[in-house]
Amino acid sequence: MSSDKDISQMFHSESLKLHNLIDIANTKTDMDIHEIVETYYQVMNVSSIATMLKQQTESEELLNKIRETEKIISEKFNSNIHPKILTSLSTSIQETTKTLQSENVNKKSKEQIENDAKLFEELRQKMSTKEFVQQYDTGITHD
Amino acid sequence: MIEELAKKIVELKNEFAKSYDGKSQIQEIIPKSSSETFPIMDHHLELLHQFATKNPIYYNFFEKKIGSVDCIVYEGDINKFWLNSIQHSSSKAPFSPTWIVSGYIITLLAKELGYSEVIDIGSGDGRIAFCAKILDMESYSIELDEILVDLQKLLSDKLDFHPYCSDALKFDYDSLNFKHPIFFIGGLAQMGGTALAAGVLQKINSISHLKNNSGWVFAGTFSQKYASDPKNEGGWGTFIEKNNLRSIKIISLPTAWTFHESDPTPYIFSQSI
Repeated sequence: MSSDKDISQMFHSESLKLHNLIDIANTKTDMDIHEIVETYYQVMNVSSIATMLKQQTESEELLNKIRETEKIISEKFNSNIHPKILTSLSTSIQETTKTLQSENVNKKSKEQIENDAKLFEELRQKMSTKEFVQQYDTGITHD
Repeated sequence: MIEELAKKIVELKNEFAKSYDGKSQIQEIIPKSSSETFPIMDHHLELLHQFATKNPIYYNFFEKKIGSVDCIVYEGDINKFWLNSIQHSSSKAPFSPTWIVSGYIITLLAKELGYSEVIDIGSGDGRIAFCAKILDMESYSIELDEILVDLQKLLSDKLDFHPYCSDALKFDYDSLNFKHPIFFIGGLAQMGGTALAAGVLQKINSISHLKNNSGWVFAGTFSQKYASDPKNEGGWGTFIEKNNLRSIKIISLPTAWTFHESDPTPYIFSQSI
């Protein structure tokens, strides 16, 4: 079984990863799909560890670290970064959809069609990422 | 003969998929001419090729020998239709077609089972209804997406497979005076297919002479990407049991959505108990 020290170290290291990702998200205006997914997974990962540890530990030091990280998730991520990501994904989906709808498909060469297929693939990725982000949104709304 | 034909087209698809190095979103093959391996009437093959060459979803085609069979490869793109279809709130399964030759084989089976009319629900570009018409069956093609119905109209000038732009759950089936129909339901069970099938089944069951006189064909999947059904049947088992149907035949064939997978699409033929 892990000692309190091991658990505390694990929480510390996962929180550190999360802080770095939140700092990046805070400064970047155009996060790519990979960065978005990685950040949300780390938020969910740290939140789950925090919930579990709060029930297990009696260390006041660890509990303080947990509260500090939860505050960052709530104030920096949930209230600020998450809405920005959702808005940015929605806008990007709308713009790509509009661009693809406005194109005249009848005059395209084989190469153009196959290049556009990449844009459609990107659109599909953005749409599924938005669904994922919306699921997170439903989670925090019901908390 | 039909099962043998299905088996051979699946083998041919697997061979083709191994060697295909193009970049098209969808691709399919049709044997160039009748042979011992593919004993399809030349006139029927010609009509299948016409459907592909006239169909704007395909932007390129070329000849290729696959194994010992001379084939035509058709390369296509359905992104535009996907974009349009996802804007329909009642459409849960975006357009993705079965192979043309698969459409031909499933309608051959429908004819062999004695059905007189084919009704393709969520029919995409209308290929199943078109194939039924090749086989001298009466056919109807019901599709919600107006752009796809416009495409069907373009493809139905020679063989009129009766494209209808309508919500299949609101369609007046009684007005078509079916004798012994078989309904092909578009969409996997896990992609909203059961809701569509349940709605149409309820409407057909309310027409007394059709309740125990209709066939149903469901496109299934054994892919681990989708949740399996405890009663199996490619995801349709529970639906089939709940609606007092029984599976009478399963035939597996290539489709656009299984091109990169090893398992073909099982088509589950069923009828009332």
